[in-house]
Amino acid sequence: MALIEIRRLRKLFDGHPVLNGVDIDVAEGDVKVVMGPSGCGKSTLLRCINRLVEPSSGSIHFRGAEVTGPDVNVRSLRQQIGFLFQQFALYRHLSVLDNTALGLRKLKGMKKKEAAERALHELNRLDMAGHRHKFPAHLSGGQKQRVALARALAMDPAVILLDEPTSALDPVMAREVAQLINRLHGEGVTMLCVTHDLEFASAIAERVAFLDEGIVQVEDRLSVLYEDHAHPSIRNFFMKQERSS
Amino acid sequence: MAFSEMLAQLASGAVFTVLVTVACCATALAVGLLSACARRVFPFPAVIRALDLFAFVFRGIPVLVLLFLVYFGLPGAGIRVSPLGAMMLSLGVISGAYLAEVFRGALDAVDAAEIMAAQSMGMSRWQVFLHIELPQMMRFSVPGMVNEFTNVLKYSPFGYTVGIPEMTKQALVLSSATLRGVEIYLAAGILYFLVYRLLLVGVRVLEKHWRVPGMGPAHLQDQPV
Ligand SMILES: Nc1ncnc2c1ncn2[C@@H]1O[C@H](COP(=O)(O)OP(=O)(O)OP(=O)(O)O)[C@@H](O)[C@H]1O
Ligand SMILES: [Mg+2]
Repeated sequence: MALIEIRRLRKLFDGHPVLNGVDIDVAEGDVKVVMGPSGCGKSTLLRCINRLVEPSSGSIHFRGAEVTGPDVNVRSLRQQIGFLFQQFALYRHLSVLDNTALGLRKLKGMKKKEAAERALHELNRLDMAGHRHKFPAHLSGGQKQRVALARALAMDPAVILLDEPTSALDPVMAREVAQLINRLHGEGVTMLCVTHDLEFASAIAERVAFLDEGIVQVEDRLSVLYEDHAHPSIRNFFMKQERSS
Repeated sequence: MAFSEMLAQLASGAVFTVLVTVACCATALAVGLLSACARRVFPFPAVIRALDLFAFVFRGIPVLVLLFLVYFGLPGAGIRVSPLGAMMLSLGVISGAYLAEVFRGALDAVDAAEIMAAQSMGMSRWQVFLHIELPQMMRFSVPGMVNEFTNVLKYSPFGYTVGIPEMTKQALVLSSATLRGVEIYLAAGILYFLVYRLLLVGVRVLEKHWRVPGMGPAHLQDQPV
């Protein structure tokens, strides 16, 4: 059984369906990429998984249990799911080290010293230990995204959801993030990433799912989607990407 | 009466001025913090409406009217309040209503993405407030708090109307006894200013201690990368 199984997921905002029957599986150890045009519901999809957004209908199984089930503890569900935001969302009043250690102390109940050691270990893993005393305002975008990743990894999540992790980065930094994701993939970290950055998508996955008009239109190798797909909206999407990059 | 004696009497009043100011600022802070906390931890429409109504009503009441209501009015209902208590319940609470507004604005300045990041880590509303919103709110609120605490100092002479022997009261007594009003009120004015400076120095020290690069007034910032 896959780590995450999404079936016929629907989400309506004000009676208008944004997700209209999405099916997606994420297997353990997998890096799954979902692409789609702006406003197609990529963020909404990720937020349904950790219940930042309440699904309207359908099912999401995480580790075999329905996430909207009556006796699900939402806070413990969220602790098992890392989340990376487009705008990094580092806590700006905390240093790099404290950003990484906060969850360990307040949610995992670690002592200050233990949490700092664990946080430092994760920062080291992402080459950010040297910046541990800096504040977010003094980091570049790529460095911020590394810290956000370290912060997520420190919690030892079963999966990390990435919401357009490169759209606020320049191409060089985006490539760095892609390398990092590939490295983590190699270490066995499971990830579900939504993006509309074609270069980034092709750097981290061979296959992508294409989300549009509320459903996964197709899931296939990027080269197939890119070159000869009959569906006009998909061709259109990838043509536009080509021109803009 | 020697001028030094007069100064000593004014200074004894200044002690009460500081006492009233500190007590009322503490009350205001408690009221403001409670309101900010309730707004974020219990964000139900009824709670928000009640908080808005509180801020709206108490910002509209003159301090002196509320002070007299508490000090002279409540005993009629069988409730006795000490002079300092009456100042806290009037000046303190009204300033608290203003601070609640300052804090509300500061809370709105906290990045929604950071709040969502904290929620998505699995923090409860209370934890998000305590670890993310509160520390940022306090830093964003420094100018507004200084403003409000200064107002409290300037309203502290009302304490004299309920029998607190603060500085303005002492100046009044002295000037009617010696008829040297100009010097006395000038001296009182300077003492008020000194208390004000002291308050500012205190805030600066705290501000420096809590300073975070990327937050707070631009002239204190290093250049970001
Ligand atoms: N809380 C909300 N209330 C109402 N409508 C919403 C809400 N959140 C999202 N929407 C709508 O749902 C649609 C999908 O939004 P979503 O943010 O999931 O898209 P996206 O694919 O992530 O877009 P982008 O690429 O711009 O990030 C949009 O039309 C948006 O306006
Ligand atoms: Mg989005």
